[in-house]
Amino acid sequence: MRGVSKAYPGGMLALNRVSLDIRKGEFVFIVGQSGAGKSTLIKLLYREEVPSEGQVFVGGRDVARMRRREVPLLRRKIGVVFQDFKLLPDRTVAENVAFALQVTGYSGRDANKAVSQVLSMVGLRNRQNSYPGELSGGEQQRVAIARALVRNPDILIADEPTGNLDPDTSLEIFRLIERANRYGTTVVIATHARHVVDAMRKRVIELKRGSVVRDVRRGAYDD
Amino acid sequence: MRYTLGGYLISETHKSIWRSRMSSFLSCGTTALALFLLGVAILINLNLSHLFTDVQSQMEIQAYLTMEASEEDAEAAIQVAQALNGVAEVRYVSREEAFRELQEMFQEKATVLEGIENPLPASIRLTTFRPEDVPDVVARLREIPCVDDVIYQEEASRNLAVLGRVSQVLSLGGTVIVGLVAITVIGNSTRMTIEARRHEIGIMKLVGATDGFVVGPFVLTGIVLGMFGGLLGAGLSVGLYNYLTGSLESVLPFIPILSLTRGTAINIAGILVITGVAVGTLGSALSLRRHLNV
Repeated sequence: MRGVSKAYPGGMLALNRVSLDIRKGEFVFIVGQSGAGKSTLIKLLYREEVPSEGQVFVGGRDVARMRRREVPLLRRKIGVVFQDFKLLPDRTVAENVAFALQVTGYSGRDANKAVSQVLSMVGLRNRQNSYPGELSGGEQQRVAIARALVRNPDILIADEPTGNLDPDTSLEIFRLIERANRYGTTVVIATHARHVVDAMRKRVIELKRGSVVRDVRRGAYDD
Repeated sequence: MRYTLGGYLISETHKSIWRSRMSSFLSCGTTALALFLLGVAILINLNLSHLFTDVQSQMEIQAYLTMEASEEDAEAAIQVAQALNGVAEVRYVSREEAFRELQEMFQEKATVLEGIENPLPASIRLTTFRPEDVPDVVARLREIPCVDDVIYQEEASRNLAVLGRVSQVLSLGGTVIVGLVAITVIGNSTRMTIEARRHEIGIMKLVGATDGFVVGPFVLTGIVLGMFGGLLGAGLSVGLYNYLTGSLESVLPFIPILSLTRGTAINIAGILVITGVAVGTLGSALSLRRHLNV
């Protein structure tokens, strides 16, 4: 990111001239209080938002200047995980995961295999025919992670992925994400989960009122 | 699990129609009504042109030549008449032929005419393609020097032309209005489905679905509803027409009603189904553009 600012209608400045580099294969926590700009920063990466000023490069491309029809191609390289899981309640676990392949026209036996593999990885192979409503919060988030990972993305982005989960389940979810990172996926997570950040000792970027106030290689949640 | 793209499109379309069956039924019904009216309009127009042909064959323009007109004059007049715009047929009736016709009219009393010198002039008899062409053709004929007088059924041709135009305007106007209503109803049904599936659409876009993939099932739903509306409208208009003409022919046998051939019925059904598909596509596409920003 180069000098990125984001102002919302009404004049609220969510990010103020933020510049930072995240290298391929890194694992980065974005921390900060509510309203610090974490979610905005995350949204700029998968072009849910465009910056008011500055440039956002993902894989060498400036996503702010990307044409509308190129956005789906960007998102296919990125897996996104949310606090509220964003699963389809009327589809089974396997169908939810397959959905990410389906929308990109990927189908057939290879798709079945990819779905089975990723469900095994997140430990939900035996729940593949269950519906999201029948699963616990932790299990639902694992489905969301499976959906984000099924296409082998270059980048995994998560916005408060454990906001609705208890501490033990949260750590389990982060370990799962860390496993994807070991296979080469770049990970960027906005979180409030202090104990997890402290336990994992990864790069920590702290935002305060829209600006980067701390960026440490093996950091903790607080200074 | 179903992963194929075609399977996905079909299953999503089926789901979308079934989930909102009331509004689907309404969309299909309104489209059917619009296309039923279009079918009626087409049938009325077909009958009117059939009627015109029938009446026109009896509605000749007769241009009487002067008694002094030579054969060369007549030949030149025929050539001028043939070149006139809107003229379908030109026939020359010589003085002798006219007298023979007169004798035939008198039949057994033809003896009355014996010994009388032929008082009838030669004439050119014409028909036009459309009744509205008659006044112009008459005016041109009057300009020919060897033409003495032109006789035609002025009021009948004027009335026929007006009737044709009014029926076309009314039937097409009605079709356009109901067609617009059908587009709006299909658009509204699409909007309701979009609202119901906004969450799903958001996720689709998030995981990299193209706009085309997102809108595919919506457009296909519109097409299917429009197509069924077209089929229903075709069935209703052709079925009702056949039923009515069947009963009318026995009650009013002197009215020249067109009986539909299989080919004409298929053509009408084809036009209505294609129009239905167009209405469905347009309705869903306009709504998607407005409510989904694609």
